[in-house]
This record gives sequence, C-alpha cells and structure tokens, in this order.
Amino acid sequence: MRAVEFVVQEWNAWAPGTDSHKAWQEWLGHQIFDQSVKSVSPTLVSKQLLRRLSPLGRAVFKATENFSDSDRSKPIVFSSAHGEVNKSLEMLKNMHKADEVSPTAFSLSVHNAIAGLFSIANNNHQEITVLASGQDGIAPAFLEALGLLQEHHKEVLMILYDEPLSDFYPSLPFALNAPAICALVLKVSLTGNGTPLRFCRSVATREDGEHALQIFAFLKFLVSDDKALELGNHRHSWEWRKI
Amino acid sequence: MENELKQLIIDTLDLEDLSVEDIDSHAALFNDGLGLDSIDALELGLAIRKKYNVKIEAEKEDVVKIFASVSSLAQFIQATQS
Repeated sequence: MRAVEFVVQEWNAWAPGTDSHKAWQEWLGHQIFDQSVKSVSPTLVSKQLLRRLSPLGRAVFKATENFSDSDRSKPIVFSSAHGEVNKSLEMLKNMHKADEVSPTAFSLSVHNAIAGLFSIANNNHQEITVLASGQDGIAPAFLEALGLLQEHHKEVLMILYDEPLSDFYPSLPFALNAPAICALVLKVSLTGNGTPLRFCRSVATREDGEHALQIFAFLKFLVSDDKALELGNHRHSWEWRKI
Repeated sequence: MENELKQLIIDTLDLEDLSVEDIDSHAALFNDGLGLDSIDALELGLAIRKKYNVKIEAEKEDVVKIFASVSSLAQFIQATQS
C-alpha cells in the first residue's frame, strides 16, 4: 500500500479524570488515571437514552460533546476490540444461575449497540461502521475512514473506544487489556487545517499490544512532540508520521 | 397495585429521575406518555412475569390495550390472577 496523507482536524478523548487536551498533555507525564471516576454523564443526550448507556457508552458520548452537531452527523467509523463484552458476561452469568436474560441487556450487548444509540441521539443517517479489530489494533479503523474519504465523503469521524476486561477473562499472555475506559474521537479529512499525517505500512515486526492499548499509544503520539508512531502486533505494522 | 406497578416500572426500566407520584395511572406508557419503547415493553413483560407470575402472550392478548397505561396493566394482572 502506498502512503496516504490525511489531516486530523480535531480530536478529543475521555478517560477517567482525563478529559481535555491539557489533561492529556499532563497525562503524558504521569500516565495514570483517576480510577475513582467510575462513569461520566454526557449532557447532550435525552434521559430516555441516557439510561441505556453503559459507562463505556457514556465515555463515547462525552468525548464527542466538543464536536459540532454537524460533525456528529458525519459518516463514522467506530472501532473497539471488546465493545460491551462485559455486558455479555453478566448475561452469561445470569443464564448460568438459570435466571432469565434481560431483553434490554441483550439488545445493548451487540458490538454496534453504542453506535446505534449514538445514531439515534444525533439523528445520524450517514454510513456508520463498527469494527472489532482486536489483534490488528487501530490501523483498520484508519483504513476504513480513509476509504470513506476516498469515496467523496469530505470529513469522517473516527471513534476508538475500549474498557478494561472483567477479571473473569484471563488476558495474559496477550497484551489486550485497557488500563482504563477510554474513548478517542478524531475528525479526519484529506485536506484542511489540523495535524497532517502520513499513514503507511511498516516492515517492522512489533509487539505494541492490541487495540485497547494502541488507543493510548495514539493519544501519546497526538499530544507529544513525537514525529512518528509505529504500531504493530506480530502481524502487520503501520506507521503514522507528522508532516 | 397501581403504585406497586409504578415502582416496578421505575426500577425495571432505570427511570431513576421519576418517582411513583410522577406517573399518572391513566397516562400513556409508550410513545407520547412516559416515552417508553418496544424494548421497554419486553423488559416490563419479563418483570411482570417474574413478580406476578402473569404471562402476557403477544399472539393471544391485545398487547396494545394491556400496555396502554398503568391502570390497564393493573386490571389485566388482577383479572388474570383471579
């Protein structure tokens, strides 16, 4: 694949206690999150929908609040390794106890549940994709977004999100578990003002961990002076370079 | 019975900012009234089955009429139980 250039026009991210560009810059120094913050309340959502939002969904909604209404109505690429898997685990536990499964929990456990609620809340009828590219990390979300931009969409929103897995799942020896809930939102385009980046394949074999960890690596790249970021997880590796 | 049902609705459907007094027994539960939707109907049906051992069968009953309001729901549960 040849290198593709694109622009990150705007970005925002939410993690516990870290919810502004300034806070993310400070995070670069200490890299810890305020684990006493269990959830956040987005303001731009009706109470009818808010009750359906998990802490992960709330993080996604909160991270998009700095964007305009028209930005939230653009084509969106959602990307998450595990989505609402913790909700599925709760349902499986209930089934194990021979208890009945909540229809609401079931409907909200699918991988596109948060995207669905987001499209309802923002009356978004554009193309929305939800990826689950655990091992391949965050690069497939960029490939998808760049594909949409090539197909004449002027701007695309990317929402990368994950939360820590329940202890029930033995994650070791895989590097796949997020240290905290995190939602990163990028508004990307082929031209325009912002941070211009060049994206291409890298020949290096790397072990940067899976999707949930790569979100933080990309955030570090955004707020630091680093010129380039390489990410890979045994298989394909990718490079983002500031130009 | 009606107040008990209202509390069940609030607890089951995570309507945390509502209290029993806020729900009018005769107001519409779905769409315009409380603004509940089809997933809420399924959830409520399950909660009623668990609590009152009353099953609302979509094929046999007039579901729209039963779920119209707290009052109609209470009447249906009482009629089925007796």
